Amino acid sequence: MVSVISSVDTGHEDMIHDAQLDYYGTKLATCSSDRSIKLFDVSSGQQVPIADLRGHEGPVWQLCWAHPMYGSVLASCGYDRKVIIWKETNGSWDKLYEYSNHDSSVNSVCFAPHELGLVLACGSSDGSISVISTTGDGNWDAKKINNAHTIGCNAVSWAPSTSPNALFDQGARQQPAKRFVSGGCDNLVKIWREEDGQWVEDQKLEGHSDWVRDVAWAPSIGLPRNVIATCSQDCRVIIWTNDGTSNHWTSRVLNKFSDVVWHVSWSVTGNILAVSGGDNKVTLWKESVEGQWTCISDVNKGQGQITDQRSSSVEPNYNTRRRLDL
Amino acid sequence: MALQWSSETFVAELKDLQANAMAVDCLGTQAVLAGKKTLAYVNLENSEEGDDGSNVTRVARQSKWDVNCIQFNPHASHAPLYVTACNTRLDVCQLSDRNGNPVCTLKAHSRIICDVDWSPFDVNVVASCSVDSFTYLWDIREPKKPVHSFQTVAGAYQVKWNKVTNNLFATTHEGDIRIWDPRKGNSPQQYIAAHLSKIHGLDWSPDNQNQFVTASQDGYVKLWDYTNPKKCFGSTDSGAPVRRARYTPFGAGLVTVVVPQLKRGENSLYLWKITKQSDMSPVHTFVGHKDVVLEFQWRKQPEGSRDQQLVTWSRDQSLRIWRIDPNLQRLCGHDGGDSGEVDLTGTSYNSSESTLKDLRDLSLSEPTMEDEMEISVATVTMAQQARSLQQEFSQLNTDIPNITLDQMDPVSRTCRVTGVGGGQKVIMECLFPEAYPNNVSPSFQILTTTLDAAMQSRLLKVLSDTSVKFVRRNNNCLEMCLRQLMSILDSMDDRRSPESEASFTRAPPPIVQATAFNILPMYSLGNFQDSSVPFPRTSGARFSSNGFLVAFGVPAEMKKVSGGAEITPKALSELAAFTQTSWNNTRTNPFSLVFSRSPPTPSSDMSISDFFEKKGRQRSSRHSHSHSLSRRPKRQERYGEKLSSKKQLSVGKVKIYDVEVLVGVNKYLAQHYKMDLDDVEGTCRHNQSAAAAIGRKDLVQTWSIAATMASRKVLPSPVPQMEMPWAMTPCGRPLLKYILDQHGAQFDVQTLAMLCCLFWTPDPPRPRARSQAQVPRSGSKVSLEFTPPNYNPYHTVSSVTGLLKGLRTSKLPSRLIAPFLKCSPCYVLLC
Repeated sequence: MVSVISSVDTGHEDMIHDAQLDYYGTKLATCSSDRSIKLFDVSSGQQVPIADLRGHEGPVWQLCWAHPMYGSVLASCGYDRKVIIWKETNGSWDKLYEYSNHDSSVNSVCFAPHELGLVLACGSSDGSISVISTTGDGNWDAKKINNAHTIGCNAVSWAPSTSPNALFDQGARQQPAKRFVSGGCDNLVKIWREEDGQWVEDQKLEGHSDWVRDVAWAPSIGLPRNVIATCSQDCRVIIWTNDGTSNHWTSRVLNKFSDVVWHVSWSVTGNILAVSGGDNKVTLWKESVEGQWTCISDVNKGQGQITDQRSSSVEPNYNTRRRLDL
Repeated sequence: MALQWSSETFVAELKDLQANAMAVDCLGTQAVLAGKKTLAYVNLENSEEGDDGSNVTRVARQSKWDVNCIQFNPHASHAPLYVTACNTRLDVCQLSDRNGNPVCTLKAHSRIICDVDWSPFDVNVVASCSVDSFTYLWDIREPKKPVHSFQTVAGAYQVKWNKVTNNLFATTHEGDIRIWDPRKGNSPQQYIAAHLSKIHGLDWSPDNQNQFVTASQDGYVKLWDYTNPKKCFGSTDSGAPVRRARYTPFGAGLVTVVVPQLKRGENSLYLWKITKQSDMSPVHTFVGHKDVVLEFQWRKQPEGSRDQQLVTWSRDQSLRIWRIDPNLQRLCGHDGGDSGEVDLTGTSYNSSESTLKDLRDLSLSEPTMEDEMEISVATVTMAQQARSLQQEFSQLNTDIPNITLDQMDPVSRTCRVTGVGGGQKVIMECLFPEAYPNNVSPSFQILTTTLDAAMQSRLLKVLSDTSVKFVRRNNNCLEMCLRQLMSILDSMDDRRSPESEASFTRAPPPIVQATAFNILPMYSLGNFQDSSVPFPRTSGARFSSNGFLVAFGVPAEMKKVSGGAEITPKALSELAAFTQTSWNNTRTNPFSLVFSRSPPTPSSDMSISDFFEKKGRQRSSRHSHSHSLSRRPKRQERYGEKLSSKKQLSVGKVKIYDVEVLVGVNKYLAQHYKMDLDDVEGTCRHNQSAAAAIGRKDLVQTWSIAATMASRKVLPSPVPQMEMPWAMTPCGRPLLKYILDQHGAQFDVQTLAMLCCLFWTPDPPRPRARSQAQVPRSGSKVSLEFTPPNYNPYHTVSSVTGLLKGLRTSKLPSRLIAPFLKCSPCYVLLC
């Protein structure tokens, strides 16, 4: 049963803009317009404050946890044009690195798959995207894609490191695919690929009719396809799919919502998409066996309940299976 | 600038015109200059007669708007027709008897029109573009509404028709270009991210339908082939913003107009040659104009004339015509076919050129071309550097309190600064190396000071740190260094006893406050482009890697100030509007101002929460006032004052949902599944009972089938160890594939991974022993028989890759895996 396992009173003094659990689901990080980031231990079902990170000089827009193999590392970005990477050492949280080479608000941060190392992409309202990486010895390197999106870049999301056609392409198997997707104020979704140490535009997906607010590359469980979800000011969510070998992406409008859509997030298995937006509601969408997307539940935050609308998602194709049992 | 080149044949000084736009008709007989109050028609035919006014006709116009641009119809049959763009309106007029008779007016744009262009193929079609983000195509026979409209995200600044092929035009939007074909709908054929800043000019090649040239604020002139939008095939850096770049009608050349950075007289037009390698080499400079060249056009020449003429209009209010003789044309690669011409390597190729020797920069006095060009290019770069330092000096805000700039010398690249504050005095010299500010910081030297040694070294360190921060991005740093100097002196002021203050008059506090060791933000106040910052998200949901969903939002008792009717705004800048309506207060500073103050001041915070208000409140001005009151305690609370009576602004709780059941991965199963490769059948039976324990009938079925498949009974063989299990036979494999496909389609990673591991391949006994030793070490959570110290049951989901890694490290012979791989949809899992 879908249930609320904890409800965290963050104590933020202003609107919360992002909340993320770490890899193990034990630590919750939240960020807010009050310029702070708060960390809580939620493993016991209770909220135990861990830290209150202050360093941003403006609202903090987004957070991203790094893979635990790099320790407890959190990245944050905000209106103050800064990206700050925080790290826990012996129970205390400190700034590990601060990147301030953007000329406008930094709207999105995303850590790359851990196979690529500690690599971070961030998109800014100055239209550029930076890819920040560290060699581990305290040196940080940043590559900047200028004019990635006219007017501004709103979101970045990395591709999973297992490339879908890795089996057939020996070369691709050796090197994990280094790609990410970005969305911006030019209504475009762009896919970027690293080539000889430089980031080049790989694909340009046109479909939205207003600013793209969030992009999310679905995790791969190994099926031979790439899936990207994007959402936009035009109130629509688009699912882009690619067969993993060609360069062709097909788009499909998941739904047109009544208000602006801000967030799309994939479940770890890549078959459930959480959509949230200006209407203050969260809806969950699931891809059926036939490839259709259906809304399976509404998370109405006012009531703190997920109203379960699904009928057979636990045992889909039960009948098929029964026939198989002959 | 009395020097004027003799090839310039005609000058009309029209002092009072204040025209911004100029056009020459396609016959080369008339030019029109459009000012705010007057239109002037200049007859170019009688130009030799001099400026006695007889060839200029003025017509008064009544408009409070300037004419932004004006263009003649390029078709000889409609030569007297011209169009002017004035604010949001286009006027088409017919020039007859030296007077413009209105033909029609085209109105549809909602904001100022930036550019118009007649179609070179259709006499009746004109394109216009505007900052309202629309580009319209008009048919002047049907002036009521545009025949086509094209919308873009950003305002369009230039629109230009292709000169070679019909139905293709380009528009520019800041640094981007879009190529359109009106026959192919309302979306662009091509996007090109061309420049880092605004494109001022675009011109299509007169002879290649794919090529065009752009000129931009970033100082670059770039050559493009729109079929290859990723990369320009030629570019040159002018070192200063380029206003226009146009192809020459002869040879392979370009004429560019550079906006001078300093008013020093280099208001020149440059003529460039495009080499075969698509490089641009300077050919000639047209010197004469005393101010920025606003517009230039090629004038059609009578048949048989070998000269070309360029008509220019400058902000110095003079109209000039420049003759470009065949020799210059040749330098641009033009093969005029006139064999009788003087050889270029001769001594002097034009009498008019001799006067050019006196001119500084780019003059080509001697025709030893190669050397000459190198030199001229070198002077350009040198001049540019000197300019950039001089520019920095000239743009420096010298109004920094307590800091005086005694001496600034861009030639010797030094400046001397005196700083007074905190009872201390410092005189410093800054030395700017040649390469500054390109990753080379200036050096600072303290000449005289009252500071002690420790403070001196601290000061020098702060200054060098500051400068390095800026020059690393090739930015100028002097002003920031001076502000740092000031704040250090100020900070000393704070530490000292107040009496030392008396001896110095303190200037009013600076705009930018900063502690001594903080690097100041390099942005100035109000510089923010909030219109491009997306409106903050106030709700969201995020999956975590272990089947939890984190959701946050605005609490239910809050609602949008705007009501639920409209959709949420797009940009942060729109928040200011809500604040002003909801909170009728003097403190309505936009968000940007709040924040760019450093450190942030508590007095003027506007926040996203202003977008919401408590439900049940009526939106009257009185209530708005009470809203503002209710906010105040919150603000005080933030700054430490305890005000327990008032509840602080309600921020929604962050809720964590367990959506494991939806994701299809079960924690119980993860804990109770077993994996024993020595007894696959037994494992399947065990897992079947585990699935039965939580009532997953579908999984019970899967496992019972799997157990049957794994059973040795289905494959009676005398030497079972040597045979493939049934699951690998032509009969069993499709069944297994089917099962895997089914679980794949449901994204049931848990079952999929289990099955894959079990039906991996029968491996020889020895490697298996090794593999079992390795699996735990790699942290794979395949089997619960082994539990690592920091074991997390959710790992089954989150570490699919870890699990696979574990399998990979078990060094199974790849030939054993290979047959299996092809049969399963999860083959990628295995590689």
